[in-house]
Amino acid sequence: MESIFSQPLFWVFVFALLFAAAFWPGRGPFWRRLQKNQRQQRVLIEDGLKHVYTFRQREIPVTVESLAGAVELNRSQASELIAEMEESALLHYGESGLELTPKGEALALHVVRAHRLWETHLADTTGLAPTDWHSQADRKEHSLSPAEVDALAASLGHPVFDPHGDPIPTEKGVDAPPSFALTEAKPNQTLRIVHLEDEPPVVFAQLVAEGLHPGMAIQLIEKTDQFLHFVGEGEERRLAPQLAANVSVRPVRNHNGVMLGGAQPLNSLRVGEEAKVVAVSRACRGPERRRLMDLGILPGAAIEVAMPSPMNDPVAYRVRDTLIALRNDQAQMILIERT
Amino acid sequence: MTVDVSSAGMPSGLSPRQPQPNPPVNADSILASVDAFRREMTTDIHEEWVEAIYGEASRLAERSVTRPDQKARFDLDRTIDRAVTSRWLGFPIMLILFTFILWLTISGANVPSQMIANVLLGMVHPWLKGVAAAISMPWWLDGLLIDGVYLATAWVVSVMLPPMAIFFPLFTLLEDLGYLPRVAFNLDAIFRKAGAHGKQSMSMMMGFGCNAAGVIATRIIDSPRERLIAIITNNFALCNGRWPTQILIATIFVGGLVPAQLAGLISASAVVGIALLGVLLTFVVSWALSRTVLKGEVSTFSLELPPYRPPRVLQTIYTSLIDRTIYVLWRAIVFAAPAGAVIWLVANIHIGGPSIAEWMIQWMNPFGLLLGLNGVILLAYIVAIPANEIVIPTILMLTVLTAGVSGAGEGAGVMFDPGSTNATAALFTAGGWTLLTAVNLMLFSLMHNPCSTTIYTIYKETGSVKWTALASLMPVAMGFVVTFTVAQVWRLFA
Repeated sequence: MESIFSQPLFWVFVFALLFAAAFWPGRGPFWRRLQKNQRQQRVLIEDGLKHVYTFRQREIPVTVESLAGAVELNRSQASELIAEMEESALLHYGESGLELTPKGEALALHVVRAHRLWETHLADTTGLAPTDWHSQADRKEHSLSPAEVDALAASLGHPVFDPHGDPIPTEKGVDAPPSFALTEAKPNQTLRIVHLEDEPPVVFAQLVAEGLHPGMAIQLIEKTDQFLHFVGEGEERRLAPQLAANVSVRPVRNHNGVMLGGAQPLNSLRVGEEAKVVAVSRACRGPERRRLMDLGILPGAAIEVAMPSPMNDPVAYRVRDTLIALRNDQAQMILIERT
Repeated sequence: MTVDVSSAGMPSGLSPRQPQPNPPVNADSILASVDAFRREMTTDIHEEWVEAIYGEASRLAERSVTRPDQKARFDLDRTIDRAVTSRWLGFPIMLILFTFILWLTISGANVPSQMIANVLLGMVHPWLKGVAAAISMPWWLDGLLIDGVYLATAWVVSVMLPPMAIFFPLFTLLEDLGYLPRVAFNLDAIFRKAGAHGKQSMSMMMGFGCNAAGVIATRIIDSPRERLIAIITNNFALCNGRWPTQILIATIFVGGLVPAQLAGLISASAVVGIALLGVLLTFVVSWALSRTVLKGEVSTFSLELPPYRPPRVLQTIYTSLIDRTIYVLWRAIVFAAPAGAVIWLVANIHIGGPSIAEWMIQWMNPFGLLLGLNGVILLAYIVAIPANEIVIPTILMLTVLTAGVSGAGEGAGVMFDPGSTNATAALFTAGGWTLLTAVNLMLFSLMHNPCSTTIYTIYKETGSVKWTALASLMPVAMGFVVTFTVAQVWRLFA
């Protein structure tokens, strides 16, 4: 009897099967490879657009080198990328170097919007640390469609600023309120931090470690070449000018005085002492902030230290006739004025 | 407290902001000015609302509520709080209370357990067999229903009901008194370092009674991340179903190593050591989970310390019996009945000579020995998944089946109690057990999958297959790694 392996039809069938398996639309390895390459290409193009967009916003000329650095490619690969983006009418060479076309600007705004909304989402609805927000959003921004981004904005209540204080673009564009670097502030000026630079991440991590956050009200005391000396949330702080250059501030207009002056963190209170809550720090966001509000810890509430736990953390406080235990890192974010 | 409604008056204080100068009224211009206004605002609009509502509420309360003098009550609360949360007394009080409850549960459950066993196993079981014989029921139906389903269910009831009926009311009394939140308050600093919530101490203590009830008790933790941690690690609290196993094995093997007058003390320390290892594992695993798979989950902290109040004893006993004891017992029975059938069937269905049980034991034995256990123990842990309480009877039945001990046991697939510790010890020796087997069984009893009741409860509470799988498989994986390591090191030195 003839073996099945010598039948030509059998081999045709086997090859057809293999071919189908490899090139099955959307499923086979060939398509996967292609999709992965397309995804990577999309990430590169969008990152490139973002780079051009932010540099133009700050009025820094965009060069092939700066773009190559931003998307981590070598010079010739970056030139290829630019050529491709020009071909898809996203970029063109203008009077002052590379510029975005209207189509390119729309796409760049979409990516920036997706990035900042995702950061807001992470800050308000997850327990991730502030230093993780940026890197996660950098990945997520490329996989959200405009419809998904709009749905995300709606679910977050159409936020205006991201957790770093950056304005979230709308379809009309970005509307950043005027601000200046902390290094340009004058002594005795009362200011509010509106933005912390989140790139490079090292700088942002350092600023977070210093306890700074957008929304924090500060008062500059002294400015020298070595450091800036200021008060914020009841604590005296010092910052090197190199770091301070990454902090944007705005003068406080309707300054009601409560955030500054006598405001101190709750954990500075001793057993038996009474105080009035003046604010909950802006660093306390999302579910954590809502929890404090649920408990009635709001500006104006009287608060008294009832007793510490055996290991001094948490501490029990009496608020609105209820004993509530708070951990010290929470108490630090509640600003009070002694009564 | 009295409330005078007439003096409350009209609400005030919710005055609108200064109107914006925007005369041409159309939708777009309103939206534009709203948008501009939002960008100008330095605070959150929702927060201002909450603030205004609280402000209004306290204004109303101040005007219309008069309080009788509650100073005496308040001072008493304060004195108790100072004592139970003090640096020197706080921990000893907790330790004494909890040890007392556990001791009362474990030693106090023996007598009623024996009584229920006498009735359900000693009287009802033979009577049922008699009825089956009288109506000449086929042997396999009689075995499956009476020796399998009935016996497993009756066994679970007799060993599970008394400890739970003692533990749950006592625990609920402490809860009702207002003491348990103080325990969470005292211990939070330790749990915080492990990335967990102080209230996990309460679900953990409940876990010492029953893990399924412990998982339900995590509902008091309102922070999602910490609650998942408490659910996943609850299995490391040695439950009531495992204490008897630990005590039996420690008495026979660990107590047997030392002179008789020290035996009690040494075996008790071995059991306490295992329980403490469980507590240590709870912290280590909590720490690891909070920094890896659960990193992104929301985490908040809040702990209210309610005023003390005299416990409502009768109501407490009633609700703890209905809500906890009967609930857990019912779930255990639902799972125990089919498991009883499975236990009987694997011992009685023969494939080419040996029964399924013997085939499986033979097949798993090499793996069991590698872990310092044996095939019998592994099979017992598979078929006795509904309740840890029936692990030892199943092990004994399977040992008699495979080791061919004559004159012991009640037959294939019939769980039994040898009656005395010495008889049990003799059976273990016949099964080829060594001190290593005993130590590793104690470790594996601490670190293996939760019982099916607990697994089902975890699924109900988390609603997630992923977390249920993690909570079920992680402890077994840890158990395999630990027993394997112990066995290899042991064999290297012994």
